[in-house]
Amino acid sequence: MSRTHDHDTHAPIRTSDEISEFEVLETAVRELAIEKGLFSQEDHRRFAEWAESVGPHGGSRLVAKAWTDPDFKARLLADGTETCKEVGIDWHDPTGSGTPSDYTYFYVLENTPQVHNVIVCTLCSCYPRPVLGMSPDWYRTPNYRRRLVRWPREVLAEFGLHFPPDVEIRVHDSNQKSRFMVLPMRPEGTEGWTEEQLAAIVTRDTMIGVALPQVDWTAQQPPNRVETATGQEGRR
Amino acid sequence: MSAPNRFDELQHRVADLAPVFREPLDSPYEISNELFAALRHVLHDVGGQPDIPVEYREKEEEPWEMSTYVTCECLGWRGVWNSEERRRAENDLGATLYFGLPYYARWATVAAKTLVAKGLITPDELSAKLDEVRARREARP
Repeated sequence: MSRTHDHDTHAPIRTSDEISEFEVLETAVRELAIEKGLFSQEDHRRFAEWAESVGPHGGSRLVAKAWTDPDFKARLLADGTETCKEVGIDWHDPTGSGTPSDYTYFYVLENTPQVHNVIVCTLCSCYPRPVLGMSPDWYRTPNYRRRLVRWPREVLAEFGLHFPPDVEIRVHDSNQKSRFMVLPMRPEGTEGWTEEQLAAIVTRDTMIGVALPQVDWTAQQPPNRVETATGQEGRR
Repeated sequence: MSAPNRFDELQHRVADLAPVFREPLDSPYEISNELFAALRHVLHDVGGQPDIPVEYREKEEEPWEMSTYVTCECLGWRGVWNSEERRRAENDLGATLYFGLPYYARWATVAAKTLVAKGLITPDELSAKLDEVRARREARP
């Protein structure tokens, strides 16, 4: 048999007709832990419920409120963890002392015409789950972790973001117990919008710092993909 | 997972995982201080390493992945370990497993290893449970 090319060995480990070994391992660990009384089935259910309830909608509300309420914004920048409670996000959920991995030290980073912020965890994947939910897969890749701290303008350009040289790019590496979120600038053309309208254009990526809010761009309705079915039109 | 009749095939795959710069890393008699420092480098500390542009893709979390995350957090919640221990245990997997496994497979692997290392389950209990779960899944229509 060829050592380098064989179609069977190229198939992903998880397929519809094959049981994933990872799935088996996860089930085994969970069941053994419950059998040994390390945690309960109820603990697992409660934590899963919390994990499913969090998402970027939490952060979007924080940003929309900060855009429309200067006092709230000042409080948010001064004490992120405490101010989150005003929109119903408690960093001490669901255990009473926070999640084991996200801790309770939340900082909001304000973008200005002179400063653009972007977040990364070069050491693993630390991310503000209570306000943004689970991290995107690319955020956890060694590639993003390697490059962003050293070549931020190049990486941001790949996301379609280009900044003039006089705009300072600040990369925040979450390598300890602090968790960060970007407060993007409110785009023009949103005068008089309600908090709900504003929240809709604050997507996950704008709070990571790899995108800017667009007036015609929401998480529910992303822009048309550049690539078209014919593969030609969009490339201009 | 590896039936005896596929043993040779598996050995070829394992041999392929050896570093390209192979000879000096095959239990050498002596190494330079520089290489010693490189070998001691903590695996997860990748910030600043050169890499090529790649397409950053979105991926839905699969049920086993969410469950792995929740299991690991519950172990932390109830004091079996803390997240620093989990992160450290991932680094201790070694370069091949750290970079070779999918993200949540690393979590599931270190959860199992840590329970064994702390004496909370025995290797025999883990093996028996893995066989039991696999048999249960295979019996499903």
